[in-house]
Amino acid sequence: MIDISSIPNIPPALIYFAGAVLLPLFGKGRVRKIYLIILAALGLIGVAVLKSPAPGGWEFSVSGFELIFLYVDRLSLIMGYIFAIIGAAAIVYSLGVVKENGEFVCGLVYLGSALGAVFAGDLFTLYIFWEIMAFSSLGLIWYSRTERATNAGMRYILFHLFGGCALLAGIIINYMSTGAISMVPGESGIGHFIVESGIGYFLLLIGIGVNTAFIPLHTWLPDAYPKATIAGAVFMCVFTTKTGVYALARTFPGAELSLFGNGIPFVAYIGGVMCLYGVIFALLQNDVRKLLSYHIISQVGYMVAGVGIGTYIGINGGIAHVFNHILYKALLFMCMGSVIYATGRNNLTELGGLAKKMPVTMITCVIAALSISGVVGFNGYVSKGMVIHAAELSHMHILTLALMLGSVGTFLSFLKLTYFTFFRRNDEIEAREAPLFMLIPMSVTAFLCVAFGVYPKMLYEILPYREVALQYHAFAVGHTLSTLELLAMTAFMFFSLRILIMPHDRITYDIDYLYRKAGRGFIWFCEHPLARFAVGVERVVLRIADYFVMFGKNPLRGTRVMIDTVGVALLKPVIFVFNLVIQPVYKYYERDLEAVKMRPVEEMGKMSIGTGLVLILLFFALYLIAMLLHGWLA
Amino acid sequence: MNRKVLRGLLIIIASVVLVVSAMFVFVIHSHSEFFTGVLYGTIGALFFVVMAKILSLIQKEGKQDD
Repeated sequence: MIDISSIPNIPPALIYFAGAVLLPLFGKGRVRKIYLIILAALGLIGVAVLKSPAPGGWEFSVSGFELIFLYVDRLSLIMGYIFAIIGAAAIVYSLGVVKENGEFVCGLVYLGSALGAVFAGDLFTLYIFWEIMAFSSLGLIWYSRTERATNAGMRYILFHLFGGCALLAGIIINYMSTGAISMVPGESGIGHFIVESGIGYFLLLIGIGVNTAFIPLHTWLPDAYPKATIAGAVFMCVFTTKTGVYALARTFPGAELSLFGNGIPFVAYIGGVMCLYGVIFALLQNDVRKLLSYHIISQVGYMVAGVGIGTYIGINGGIAHVFNHILYKALLFMCMGSVIYATGRNNLTELGGLAKKMPVTMITCVIAALSISGVVGFNGYVSKGMVIHAAELSHMHILTLALMLGSVGTFLSFLKLTYFTFFRRNDEIEAREAPLFMLIPMSVTAFLCVAFGVYPKMLYEILPYREVALQYHAFAVGHTLSTLELLAMTAFMFFSLRILIMPHDRITYDIDYLYRKAGRGFIWFCEHPLARFAVGVERVVLRIADYFVMFGKNPLRGTRVMIDTVGVALLKPVIFVFNLVIQPVYKYYERDLEAVKMRPVEEMGKMSIGTGLVLILLFFALYLIAMLLHGWLA
Repeated sequence: MNRKVLRGLLIIIASVVLVVSAMFVFVIHSHSEFFTGVLYGTIGALFFVVMAKILSLIQKEGKQDD
């Protein structure tokens, strides 16, 4: 028997980074597939054997900062478990669709850096992995090799660079005011990082908010995810936003804003807004992956709300929703990836009639849809209920209402997605079931969605506050009944009113419309007024440089030109006021200036080095005397 | 949308609103926790349908968003 406790703690990020480095050695055939499956298994084992608290050895002192590359507690462990599970599923899924090594490398580095971020013990280490995540995920968009993907990738990385800058500035400013960079909370909980109100606080929140897709910092998500590669979208839907929620749980759990003498848990309300906003825009979408992308915003809203409420049950609910959401959202992206792979179509208006042609994809997609909608017996029901329960217990009635309405909208749009993709009649469509490498991770993930829904205690055991979680009754009669009623009424309304929310070939404007307008305005400003100003500055600088060259050649002549130029410049504006007095002097300067300029620049006679030194010493002596006199007089 | 469908929809909406209102008035006061789902489900679905219709005003014809 292997004694697990004897296996040393290794940062899981290293496993995937090493895997990415070695990948090109295995070619592109069957050996590569075996290698990637072994790597996925190794990654899972690497996370499973991590011990909490982690023994030392991964702490480095850099310029006086203690950087902790591996910090293990219950929160980082649950994030690590789900990242490794779905990372393995995404790797196996990729085997069916990905051809190029580069795309695999981007996926592995992205997965590794996400794990590096959740096991980071300080904000600087978190920031390093945060940035690696942004650049590696960019590769997953650009490997689509379309113009749309290239443009969306540019917008994506611009947004994330802005967020990264804000995060780094926030970390530095907060460090200067509090001296805190360590995220190790000790025995008391998960999120006791010291954040002081002010600009640092705001910048930290903005930096984390970009990755978490706070409204209105969310536009990169529905813009970029639908344009990523089929496998790339599966990776992307998991890591970036969830790492943001993790960072939020470490830094801003239950954060309050003082308003009219009351502490408002504003992060929780940001979650409520995200929940409704995402659902409303998802309902309008025609592109299946864009619909799912808007649902990420909505579901992350539940997580942000849970963390923002800040109570033990709220944080448990938020983190449980991270875990469950990753399962069903990755499954949904896998299913829609299979549909796009099999049909070459991605719009609801072009799909339909796939239930019989792709039965495994249909069943797994329905399971994922029921999970995200919070149907009893599926995993989403447990965590969503926990967050709503936390809001109720904290007497946040508006938030409770928003979260419940979010459930209705979610079910409505997933009825729309599944109905128009699989069940609506479409005799024209030709498709075959997805390859086995795609179906295996889909089936396993679907099984996990049901397993954690039927037996939620498995999840409670690994939540940050285990004892509180075990006291929560997911299947209480009142809650179960009202959820079933809510979903039944939503289904009834969908089939009654589905004509009103039929998919159409239409483009929906989001806030990014304003960003694009502002961007074009900024480019115009750079190309016209700013460019003209730059040309003007260049001319002035060149004239000054010319003058210095002339002065260097003949200082006497240069001084004379300077005096004449200043004289002309000073007298010209007042010449009309004191015509009789000023005009002769002005004319003199003007004539002299023209005369000097007309003469060729003759170089001054050269002096010996000794004479030059005497002159310099004389100058310094005069300067010294002036300084001494100044000091003496003062 | 033709008139028949519209009329049907109106009848359905009206009946649902009536049933929900009746339930709200006569039953919910005594057993509210068992009927909140019906209420939220109906109101929520109507809310989203109306919001989708309103937001469709800012949509434009086309397949790609850039």
